[in-house]
Amino acid sequence: MTRIVGEEPKPEQEVVRARQRSQARITAWLLGSFVVLLFLITIAKVTGK
Amino acid sequence: MQMTKPAALPADWRDLYALTKPRVMSLVVFTALCGLLAAPAMPPLVIGFTAILCIALGAGAAGALNQWYEADLDAKMKRTANRPIPSGRLNRQTALHFAVGLGFFSVILMELATNWLAAVLLASSILFYVLIYTVWLKRRTAQNIVIGGAAGAFPPLIGWVAATGRIDLLPALLFAIIFLWTPPHFWALSLFVRSDYAAAKVPMMPVVAGYAATRRQILAYSIIMAAAAVSPWPLGLTGWIYGSVTAVLGVIFVGFAVAVARNDATEPKMMGPEKRLFAFSILYLFLLFAALVADRWLLA
Repeated sequence: MTRIVGEEPKPEQEVVRARQRSQARITAWLLGSFVVLLFLITIAKVTGK
Repeated sequence: MQMTKPAALPADWRDLYALTKPRVMSLVVFTALCGLLAAPAMPPLVIGFTAILCIALGAGAAGALNQWYEADLDAKMKRTANRPIPSGRLNRQTALHFAVGLGFFSVILMELATNWLAAVLLASSILFYVLIYTVWLKRRTAQNIVIGGAAGAFPPLIGWVAATGRIDLLPALLFAIIFLWTPPHFWALSLFVRSDYAAAKVPMMPVVAGYAATRRQILAYSIIMAAAAVSPWPLGLTGWIYGSVTAVLGVIFVGFAVAVARNDATEPKMMGPEKRLFAFSILYLFLLFAALVADRWLLA
């Protein structure tokens, strides 16, 4: 792997944290969407529309 | 089965996404959507959307379980060596947890949103693909994709059942069409990637029976499939739009299969007819299902 002059290599811990943050954000979005979807399904089941 | 390179980092969402075989999923989603749109009863929009979402997630779970089980095999083939698990980007256990979770989620949500029959069919399609095709047949018999093709034939049936709650003759025929379409589609591919399958010791038809026998069988299945594809029209299940489109497409499909049968090349670079048949087979299925929906909506 080539290193750019003057750029420090990213500590592994930071990469791990970045991945965890990305996972947490995506999980939050998915859970939020799931709640909205369940709400809409309930409405559709109740009203039949 | 051992993973060659352990992955230390938490999973990247792109690898989890790749694990679901998104390209295969696009055909699954399309055929499922067409099955749903061709049904005589239309569910509420959000229910229809959820049904398709569940079918996509179920297909993703099946694809992920397939990659989890076949990591050792994938590592031996050029075409699949860069997948998330064999390349070492994704831990096998993470892949298994993701796949099982996705599978359960898709089936439970399908039952909640639509009906139990659609959920049972979705669960059956996942189990069929993983247990019957991946675990049992793929490494044991040259008929692997013939029987295993049933797994890919479920989506339009599930789409229809999600909308109506019952199995009718038309979706059963759609199931049969995809079932018969799978051998020529996959065998065309396996002819020009034969060395990959041979290296991985997968008993695909060209590896076990040779080039000529595979090409003959491609032609035989293509003729039966083309006839089955038109059959809903004379049976009165569809109108002339579907009938005429599938008749023309069937003639073209068989024409490509004849070109394959007449080819005697053993070098992949000389397998133009096989590559053309493989590419056309995907277009064929898209157009056939599009014609089904057009027929249903324009002539209804």
